[in-house]
Amino acid sequence: MIKLPEYITRNVVIALVLGGFSGVGLVLFLIEFDHLTSTEAFCTSCHSMELVAEPYRKSSHYLPDSGVRAHCGHCHVSEGVIAATLDHIVGAGDLFNQLFGADYDDPAVNALHLPEMAFRARAWFRETDSATCRRCHDQGAIMGERPDTWQIHQEDARGKTCIDCHQNLVHRKVPSEKTFKRDAWNRMIEEEFQLPQGSADAIMAR
Amino acid sequence: MNKPVFSRALRLLPFGVLLVACASPVVAAKVTIDSSNWGLEAGKECVSCHKKSSAGLAKQWQESAHHDAGVNCLDCHQADSGDDDAVEHEGAVVATIVSPRDCGRCHTAELKQHAGSVHANAVALIADRMPAMAENLGGPALVAAGCAQCHGSTVKVKGDGTLDPETWPNTGIGRINPDGSKGSCSACHARHAFSKAQARDPSACARCHSGPDSPDKEVYEASKHGMLFKAHNAEMNLDSDEWVAGKDYTAAPTCVTCHMGAAPGLNPSHDVGMRGMWNLNSPVSEKQYLVVFEDGDTMELPDSEAAPRRGSEIEKPDGTLGIVKVVATPERRRKAMSKVCLECHGKDFVQGAMRQFDDLVELYNDKFGRPAQNIMLALYERGVLTPAPFDEPLEFTYWELWHDEGARARHGAAMASPNHTWWEGLYQVSRNFYSKFLPQVRQVAGEQAQALITAHLEEGVGHGWLKSPEKGSRILGYRRGEGQDD
Repeated sequence: MIKLPEYITRNVVIALVLGGFSGVGLVLFLIEFDHLTSTEAFCTSCHSMELVAEPYRKSSHYLPDSGVRAHCGHCHVSEGVIAATLDHIVGAGDLFNQLFGADYDDPAVNALHLPEMAFRARAWFRETDSATCRRCHDQGAIMGERPDTWQIHQEDARGKTCIDCHQNLVHRKVPSEKTFKRDAWNRMIEEEFQLPQGSADAIMAR
Repeated sequence: MNKPVFSRALRLLPFGVLLVACASPVVAAKVTIDSSNWGLEAGKECVSCHKKSSAGLAKQWQESAHHDAGVNCLDCHQADSGDDDAVEHEGAVVATIVSPRDCGRCHTAELKQHAGSVHANAVALIADRMPAMAENLGGPALVAAGCAQCHGSTVKVKGDGTLDPETWPNTGIGRINPDGSKGSCSACHARHAFSKAQARDPSACARCHSGPDSPDKEVYEASKHGMLFKAHNAEMNLDSDEWVAGKDYTAAPTCVTCHMGAAPGLNPSHDVGMRGMWNLNSPVSEKQYLVVFEDGDTMELPDSEAAPRRGSEIEKPDGTLGIVKVVATPERRRKAMSKVCLECHGKDFVQGAMRQFDDLVELYNDKFGRPAQNIMLALYERGVLTPAPFDEPLEFTYWELWHDEGARARHGAAMASPNHTWWEGLYQVSRNFYSKFLPQVRQVAGEQAQALITAHLEEGVGHGWLKSPEKGSRILGYRRGEGQDD
């Protein structure tokens, strides 16, 4: 019989076994948790997210001919349990804002704040080299319907990441940060929601 | 007596000087700025992708003079991120719309000439008239796909940086651009080849100058000039750098030749409205002064009004005030136009042709245009017609009389198409006037009608034959005493 070192007492063994199981349990929990919290049903349980999901449900990512539907988390949550968990921790900030920040459930308020959300999301895609796009899309395999699509994705996409060219595919169109004009955006939203002129600025100042 | 004439002559002197000063050299304005102003390094990258993503467009550009001179996509499409219509496109800040101001960075002379022209003011000139037709008879969809495609839209940039599809795409000649400039060079110079030959071809004008109310394409094609253009198209030298009538080509004149082209002693101009003396698209034609403002804008004023004084401030078509720089008399404008004719015709021929044209315009005015206008005004004043246009059949009848049929007759005479002058023109005016307009006036005006019609017909000329109903003619196969024609 193998002789265990003296410091491995019965209590240590119990602790190790329990710790091991808890560890596995925690990882399993996180995997399940990340899965659950990446679903459309979970994300849209906040009414404000229902507003951004509306255009998504009309997009080709929701309704592709192939039936390969991308859910919220497929694009907005990283691959791997650690990265996914971190993303969810960062994302918890949104929950805080939902509870204590502006009234994002109001469609006009939501639309007014949308550009900054889009800029943050785009920056994240850029930082991660559009990793979540690449979960499904393999740059070397993009043939497209036009003869030169493959060539463009080889030659002209060098030094670029997906999000640099492919924006405004899913959610409401937001201009790039460089050319975004807050004033023009506010006037557009006021017109769209029939708000008195200047009220958008007041909403944003709150 | 002499003094006013003298002072008028003095007032008009600068325009003469302007014409003479412009008279040499007679070559098309060249781009004079240094070539270091174009060929942006970042613009070279656009080409690689666009050759694949929009190969047709890129190929047009590749075969263009722009390409040969080293002008690339970004040179024209560059924008400041602060511009209303700026968008970020694959890392570059660009604008979809290349406005005359953008083209004018290099094509300075053309920008200046066009900016003050009747073309550039195509929106302002109809702003107070268009709603009745475009909105009451049509609707917003018609305005976007119809009216504004020739006159120009007021391009609206939405808050998300996109161009409002109610106002874009649009290549109307008087388009109001997001940068405030007026016009669209691609109205005539189709993108992205921007070929000289294409813009000099009459088809460049035909997109708008055709159809019932400005049948210039049809009239031109039916004229000897149009006939010659078609028969000798290969000799037109359309892609020549310099294109002076009588020198670089003699086969035929095109729209450009007479209205804006160069001839010996006459400079070309992108102000297309300088040489036409009459307003032909109005109920009654009047000879027009051309008022040139200090800022380069131009405006027409009827000959019946006193010419504005140099240095005086008057209202422009867009409602703003402008200081009068020069006033060109109708005669001066006619002289400029005639200069072109003289390259191929003798002086007497030219004067004779102009006389036939003027006489036809006067005939239309005196016999139909003015009486019809006066009858209509009387009906409005007496409350027989409601002020709202086009809510009574008579208003359509009157509109077609001067705007369609009357314009056709006058344009037919202007550009020497006998068919349009008569069968497509004055015959239809006449038929309308006697068999539709007057009967409808009788119908709506009741007891007042006869006095009204008689008064205005006696003012007009050429209606005396109505008083001799017994005078027959074989034209309809019957003459009294002869029985039926066989």
